[in-house]
Amino acid sequence: MKSLLAPLILLAAAGGTNAWASASVGQPAPAFSASDTAGRAVSLADFRGRHVVLEWVNPGCPYVRKHYDSGNMQATQRSATAQGVVWLAVNSTSPDHRDHLAPARMAGWMQGHGAVASSTLMDEDGAIGRAYGARTTPHMYVIDPQGTLVYAGAIDSKPTANAADIATATNHVKEALAETLAGKAVSTPVTRPYGCSVKYGSAG
Amino acid sequence: MNRLQTLIVALVTLPSLAWSAPPGAEVRTPQVRAELVAQAPEGVAPGKPLMLGLLIEHQPGWHTYWKNPGDSGLPTRLTWKLPEGVTAGPIEWPTPGKLPLGPLLNYGYDGRLLLPVSVQVPANFAAESLDVKLSAEWLVCKDVCIPEQGEFQIQIPARAATAAHAQLFADASAARPRPLASAEGTATVSATWLDLRVTGLPAEWRGRPVAFFPETPGVIQNAAEPQAHWEGPVWFARVLLDPQRSESPTSLPAVFTTSGETAGASLPLTVQGAWPAIGAASPLPAVQPGETLPPVDPAPPMGLPLAILFAVLGGMLLNLMPCVFPVLSLKVIGFARHSAQRGQLLAGGLAYTAGVVLSFVALAALMLALRAGGEQLGWGFQLQSPWVVSALAALFTLIGLNLAGLFEIGSLLPDRLATLQARHPMVDSALTGVLAVAVAAPCTAPLMGASLGLAVTLPEPQALTIFAALGLGMALPYLAASAWPALARALPRPGPWMVTFKGLMAFPMFATVVWLVWVLGQQVGIDGAAALLGMLVALAFVVWAVGAPGRSRRTRAILGPAGAILLALALSWAAPALRQDALAAAVPSTEAWQPWSSERVAEAVAAGRPVFVDFTAAWCVTCQYNKRSTLSKEEVMADFRARNVLLLRADWTRRDVAISNELSRLGRTGVPVYALFAPGTGQPRLLNEILSVAEVRDALAALP
Repeated sequence: MKSLLAPLILLAAAGGTNAWASASVGQPAPAFSASDTAGRAVSLADFRGRHVVLEWVNPGCPYVRKHYDSGNMQATQRSATAQGVVWLAVNSTSPDHRDHLAPARMAGWMQGHGAVASSTLMDEDGAIGRAYGARTTPHMYVIDPQGTLVYAGAIDSKPTANAADIATATNHVKEALAETLAGKAVSTPVTRPYGCSVKYGSAG
Repeated sequence: MNRLQTLIVALVTLPSLAWSAPPGAEVRTPQVRAELVAQAPEGVAPGKPLMLGLLIEHQPGWHTYWKNPGDSGLPTRLTWKLPEGVTAGPIEWPTPGKLPLGPLLNYGYDGRLLLPVSVQVPANFAAESLDVKLSAEWLVCKDVCIPEQGEFQIQIPARAATAAHAQLFADASAARPRPLASAEGTATVSATWLDLRVTGLPAEWRGRPVAFFPETPGVIQNAAEPQAHWEGPVWFARVLLDPQRSESPTSLPAVFTTSGETAGASLPLTVQGAWPAIGAASPLPAVQPGETLPPVDPAPPMGLPLAILFAVLGGMLLNLMPCVFPVLSLKVIGFARHSAQRGQLLAGGLAYTAGVVLSFVALAALMLALRAGGEQLGWGFQLQSPWVVSALAALFTLIGLNLAGLFEIGSLLPDRLATLQARHPMVDSALTGVLAVAVAAPCTAPLMGASLGLAVTLPEPQALTIFAALGLGMALPYLAASAWPALARALPRPGPWMVTFKGLMAFPMFATVVWLVWVLGQQVGIDGAAALLGMLVALAFVVWAVGAPGRSRRTRAILGPAGAILLALALSWAAPALRQDALAAAVPSTEAWQPWSSERVAEAVAAGRPVFVDFTAAWCVTCQYNKRSTLSKEEVMADFRARNVLLLRADWTRRDVAISNELSRLGRTGVPVYALFAPGTGQPRLLNEILSVAEVRDALAALP
């Protein structure tokens, strides 16, 4: 029986993913489900067939505020959603961190800043963040309609906290979206994200 | 304007005046004190040494970053404004430290830090002094990050010595990584890692752990410790590539250091081999052939027909699992009772099959619904709820009491329902099938692991098909016996022995109750177990009061309500103790075994230590069997000790999202799972679910 079982167990093992390997560009984007700030369940699988942008957000982070106070993030959200792209903002801040906002306050912050994300997801245990290897806020991901990750990295090309740099920076997300929406390969599929570290729980 | 007003205006405007005053040498923020300092021991003149530097004194707990900041953070940036012809070199970064932050790792500095630059003065320099202006930007982080900046300005006399910070500059120079003239290093690229080979590191480092800091960001997984070892004078390490690697350098400058050294060694590593294309679909890094697993043929994804076949086989094996045994005994009674009537027997078999298949499909549908709802649940979840365990214990107690003859079903149920049951033994059989599934499900038979792992990742219709196939497989032996009279006739003829046999069968039921009470005790503690036992006593009283054979209508009328009241009281007393949070999440661990966490696995594996993980649950009989047999054998434990294997136990008795996630990562939805991680790998070798001593020892012997 053992000889029959061994290949099967190996087969099962081959289906797993590497513990430390987070999402890779060119590979299927990890599936996830989470509650949004209104408590509704949102799954990545709901958006099969559409382009999806994931944005890691933490209102306590100066780099996030750089892009929200300047209106850059909202403008990027508007241009994306106007083209039928689903925009999911993800907050992976652990509840024991001082930056943590309860869902209602998070929703209020997004609304107060005129954000037009399709949903804001509460990833308090950091499961989605870890699956995607999200390191910074902001950290941006673009997923194509086949569910393949086509972009991972920074929002733009100038890694500073200075809002004045936005005008002269290349918006990597807009670029990646334009290319993938036109059916082309993304020319800069991976960049180094910049910002504050994602405030994962100390439990690891 | 009176005097008070003047004073207020003065107080309000004073700080803003201070702000607009020309910058000085120092900037203070709540997180750091930063100062522009100079070292010109022989004054400022062509050919004389001149160093400038930004001194950053961090408040405790705060840090700033190295040139490669690691997973987050930004390097400090210095923008100099110097007179025409005077040029400042790049920052001469001191040897950094590693700054772990949850699952992330950064490279940087805390405490007192000087970032020096050396300055070149042109040959025609003849001024009385050198005016230095500096704009600096730094990101300072603790648990939060604050981007800060400062404008600095100093004047250095050209004809006098400036050496107030000589010690600082000397310390910074001593902390700067030294280039090693005789050292050579290569970094060989493969699909998911870099193999480093370095010769010529200082001789006194040999055999000691060496820290590796690549100067190029965006290449490696910073948080994954390299798997490293020394072979004589040569240091080898395997470093995992960042799955979101953004750089493909042709040379990888790096800093190496070991504990106790002020300064590390710097060495450019020559990159060999071609970088995998960024964003190209690279092969799944899960299995490293010949590395962690015995060589296998390239594994095609399991096709649906094959999966169905394995599901049927797995279902059949389920009959042999210990936790199906009590129900098997029920079935044996069923055979004995009906063996005279062939048609009825076959009909019963078909009804049983339908019951089993429908239950499997229903469970799968429930699981899929929960999966859709984002619940992190796995197979066997029904026994993770204390309420379900209590209900099952009550059910088995009732079955046991019935078999033992304490009460009769016929007298308990309304006449019409009882005769319906008698007239339709198929309903009986179907219910037996349902019961069989409820008990069998948590004991994942070996093949179920693979089938279920696949099923959970499949679209709903296919997943339901596979679960139905599992059910069919489980019912198949019963169905075959009912269709082949020869099989059924091999059973003893009905007779008075059946009463004895029926009574005998009560004991497996009670044994099952003991097991369930123990499971509940694991979940909610001894109070919960006592509450359940109390409830069972009340229940037993009720069925005895109402259903005992020969009970007169009058006695029943008196005892019935008394029993109902007793049961109600017992329930209200027991209910609070059955809440799942009644027991703290303390994992009982014996000396050798420690509680599992993915971080512990990662740490140990990175540190070169093999790890064996026992994914178990109190309610999983197969798990308990393995634990008490193979995993308590002295020769197995001795092998574990000899190879310094870290033994971790992941207890899934109660719901645990982290364990559910890890199981699904391994392609499983139930326990037991036995995973052996070789050093430096993320993907374990999975052992058989019925664990044999030989298998464990073979697997340990195969460790590198």
